[in-house]
Amino acid sequence: MRAIWSGAIGFGLVNIPVKLFSAVQASELDLDMLDKKDHANIHFQRVNANTGREVKWENIVRGYKVEDNYVVLDESDFEKASPEKSKIIEIAEFVDEKEIDSIYYETPYYLQPEKSGVKPYALLRDALKKTGKCGLGTYVLRNRESLVLIKPQGDLLILNKIRFAEEIRDTDELNIPDVKIKPAEMNMAVQLIEQLTTDFDITNYKDTYNEKLLKLIMAKAKGKKPAATKMKVVHSKSRDLMAQLKESLAAPKRKAS
Amino acid sequence: MKKKAEITHPEKIYWPDEHITKGELIDYYRNIAPYILPYMKNRPLSLRRQPNGIKDEGFFQKDAGDSVPEWIKTFEILAESTGKMVNYHVVNDVESLLYIANLGCIEMNPWNSTINKIDNPDWVVMDIDPSDKNTFDDVIDVALTIKQILDEMEVEGFCKTSGASGMHVYIPFGRKYDYDQARDFAEMLAHMVTERLPRLTTLERSLAKRKKNQIYVDYLQNRIGQTLACAYSARPKPGATVSAPLEWSEVQHGLSPKDFTIKNIFDRLEQKGDLFKGVLGKGINLNKALQKLSVPVQD
Repeated sequence: MRAIWSGAIGFGLVNIPVKLFSAVQASELDLDMLDKKDHANIHFQRVNANTGREVKWENIVRGYKVEDNYVVLDESDFEKASPEKSKIIEIAEFVDEKEIDSIYYETPYYLQPEKSGVKPYALLRDALKKTGKCGLGTYVLRNRESLVLIKPQGDLLILNKIRFAEEIRDTDELNIPDVKIKPAEMNMAVQLIEQLTTDFDITNYKDTYNEKLLKLIMAKAKGKKPAATKMKVVHSKSRDLMAQLKESLAAPKRKAS
Repeated sequence: MKKKAEITHPEKIYWPDEHITKGELIDYYRNIAPYILPYMKNRPLSLRRQPNGIKDEGFFQKDAGDSVPEWIKTFEILAESTGKMVNYHVVNDVESLLYIANLGCIEMNPWNSTINKIDNPDWVVMDIDPSDKNTFDDVIDVALTIKQILDEMEVEGFCKTSGASGMHVYIPFGRKYDYDQARDFAEMLAHMVTERLPRLTTLERSLAKRKKNQIYVDYLQNRIGQTLACAYSARPKPGATVSAPLEWSEVQHGLSPKDFTIKNIFDRLEQKGDLFKGVLGKGINLNKALQKLSVPVQD
């Protein structure tokens, strides 16, 4: 595991020097794109949409469409808008973890103390455990200001990036009609839930797709042909649209806006 | 208040190669009025004005502005893109039609919905828009594929030449569904067409990205405010062609859109009557149509 950032957690008057590690990894197989005919690797080119010719990196700029024209931004524009780079994750406040809806959670990272930070790291971790709180702060990674939570987990402190409020979509457009529920129905549902209630153990669940895919690859490499899984649904864009339309027809009549 | 369109410069040449004048265009609209008006009535119009004839691109106009005579009906609609009110012309009678034609409107572009029920289109339209490399036979193949899908749904569709190089297929919606549903339905149809004719057709909007010989199946004409040339509209094209409704039996290889012009369409109307009437009919039952199309899930 390689650290992706090093800096410090600013906590009151103390700075805790730490390293940051990714806590998650993609579980997908690394497949390469090839030409069907000769298995040559596919590589990408950036081409001009008008001329079809390749454009060199140094000639590529980024722009934002305003009405019908592009406003082109250069490095200095990005710099002006970027928050000040800092080496410190400043904890601004402490909050109750239960108050944070899971919808805000983004990527998790592990924090590891540098030598000089071992003691304050342990102190912060244990104090957070004792109070049941987590630290809420900001730091700058890859030119973007991020909102982060720092929380204890076992011996570790975990840093979890969380989303800003404006990244969460409004739910106004969703249609959840009010319905009346009879007490008997509710009792039945509650009973069912209680019957199926267990302790949460994530290891009971496995993403088997990659495993199967890898098996298939190995078998293919040996020249065997594994039995194809039967397709359940023929998937196509027209079918998606059909489903969408049916849904819209089933919904109560919308008022003309 | 006198309700009469003043005709100005009838001698102006509109189709120079054919020597057809503005006066002749006005005459065409005077005579075609009983046929075209049902498809324009109570619909906001987007004007394309070409006061210098077909060789000039002309300009587009939506807002009627201040100069519009009092006897011309107009209807205000909020343009969502700009947040401004747009006062559209609405043509409900022959004099209003001639007033619009006199502004230099060679073609008539009414909305898919009427001011009485502005959010519910009367029809869904599939716009078959070929590249310059396609033949009209290619266009016919696409139209027939749409017809085939409509038959599978047991839904009636109506087709017409666009008057230019393409064709339009209309499916009556009877103001029962909204524009989102119309668009989704059209998009679904368009995808089904490209699934059946993957080489000939594309849904790629960008001209640059389309292959040179592909036909664009345009389903995006089913958004509010989008317009196509109306049935029986003249087109600013060589030969003074019109958008001519067709019988499906006529939709065969060899048909040419150039066969229907402002000069000869009346003979056809005398023989066949208005083939497009059904477009304003009851409208399809979308639920039933979709069920017909649903293939049971295979196990």
